[in-house]
Amino acid sequence: MRGMRAIPRQGSRSALASLTMRHVSSRTLLFFGLAAICVVLLILSSSNRLEPIEGVAMQIGRPFLLTFSGIGRQITNVVNTARDLATLRARNNQLQAVVDTLTIDNLRLKETEAENERLRSLLRFAQLNPNYDFRGGQVIARVISKNPSNYLASITIDLGSEHGLSMGMPVVTERGLVGRIHKVGPMSSTVLLITDPSSGVPALIQRNRLVGVVTGRAGAAPVMEYIPQDAEVTVGDLVITSGLGGEFPKNLVIGQVVEVRQRDYEIFQQAVVRPTVNFDRLEFVLVITNFRPLPGPPDESESVG
Amino acid sequence: MIQRMGQRFRLSHRDLGGFYLATAVLAFAVLVQATVLTRLRLAGNAADLMLVLVVCWSLIRGQTEGILWAFAGGLGLDLAAGLPLGTSSLALMVTCPLTVLGKNSVFPGSLTLPVLLVLLATPAYGWVVLLTKTVLGLPVDWLASTLYVIGPEAVLNMALTFLVYPLLRWLARTLQPGQMAW
Repeated sequence: MRGMRAIPRQGSRSALASLTMRHVSSRTLLFFGLAAICVVLLILSSSNRLEPIEGVAMQIGRPFLLTFSGIGRQITNVVNTARDLATLRARNNQLQAVVDTLTIDNLRLKETEAENERLRSLLRFAQLNPNYDFRGGQVIARVISKNPSNYLASITIDLGSEHGLSMGMPVVTERGLVGRIHKVGPMSSTVLLITDPSSGVPALIQRNRLVGVVTGRAGAAPVMEYIPQDAEVTVGDLVITSGLGGEFPKNLVIGQVVEVRQRDYEIFQQAVVRPTVNFDRLEFVLVITNFRPLPGPPDESESVG
Repeated sequence: MIQRMGQRFRLSHRDLGGFYLATAVLAFAVLVQATVLTRLRLAGNAADLMLVLVVCWSLIRGQTEGILWAFAGGLGLDLAAGLPLGTSSLALMVTCPLTVLGKNSVFPGSLTLPVLLVLLATPAYGWVVLLTKTVLGLPVDWLASTLYVIGPEAVLNMALTFLVYPLLRWLARTLQPGQMAW
């Protein structure tokens, strides 16, 4: 309206049209200008030239992510508690009041107990595998963010290059392989999960030592590919890392075969693998820091998911 | 030419207020999306708060502000997710022109249009992200991603719009009542 007042009365229609044109053109200019910046950023970021800037930004964001992650955990606890309460109400009305009180009273205690149990399990795994050096706040890394984008299966952990982490290091839990370090900041790192379509893990079937590659799939369980047609794979077979290619240590558990896909017209058969790790409930992970992955092809280090 | 462009984009005190507000809202959205929303999943997917924010803000305050929010919010999202910088910004910016559909609506303030726009914007956003990944040489399964990622995400985003849109509308009305586009 302020702009309208400045327009002279004579030829006001043409002035209005010119004003609209100018408005549209500035918006278009802004759109294409920012789109061009995005393209430049994409090129630079894909070739890892923005790593220092990204590292600084991740360092700044880390305390906020930690705080919000704690809030998220509390919300999950509350949601889970509410679910439990609903079930209990249906099953036993008489105990409802007691359950309510106990749940609230014991919430913190349960959380501590569960955390303690997870840490014990991780410690047991470290003791059973003494040839690996596990690090993360000395031993364990805390997950501070999970899958912020639906288009990249990744988690962020609270350790970075300052704690000795570097790109490509395998990440595990006591249940099996989680993924590998994909981006490293000074105080935090991003882990590319084995469920991401761009992740490929050389694997073998433990029973008969058949080799293949476990690849992630969008919205579905990972698949072990490149298994010869005449090879025998059965549901329930355990899939572990083969160590081939030098990207992952040997004998880390990946998952269990839940389905075998064999088609006569294809060269290879496929096995759908259910990972032993529950990626929705990851809170702590171990980073194997003494395993140095062999350098992959050039585009491998630029892989984003 | 540069002087003319400078005049076009000159910032007033009110614009600066809007800038601070946008920074706060977008930073908050990135943190919530990266930590809280990821725990509430449907078929393995979480709602995309940033996408809903950008579409709703474009509808309320016009495409220009929507594009700026998309750019800044996308950068934050890429940093948090580990995607190459610019991926989400580009994809979010593409959704802003969709809000032109709301210009001539006869029911301003109704929730139907923002929900419909979010429904349209979700695949547009997803496909641009997938296209970017394809251009970068990464393996992309278009059909599976559309069915198992974009589909559930659209449902969640629509649900989130019922919460986000009234909040943003209230925010815009409270802060700068004269500048509501819709």
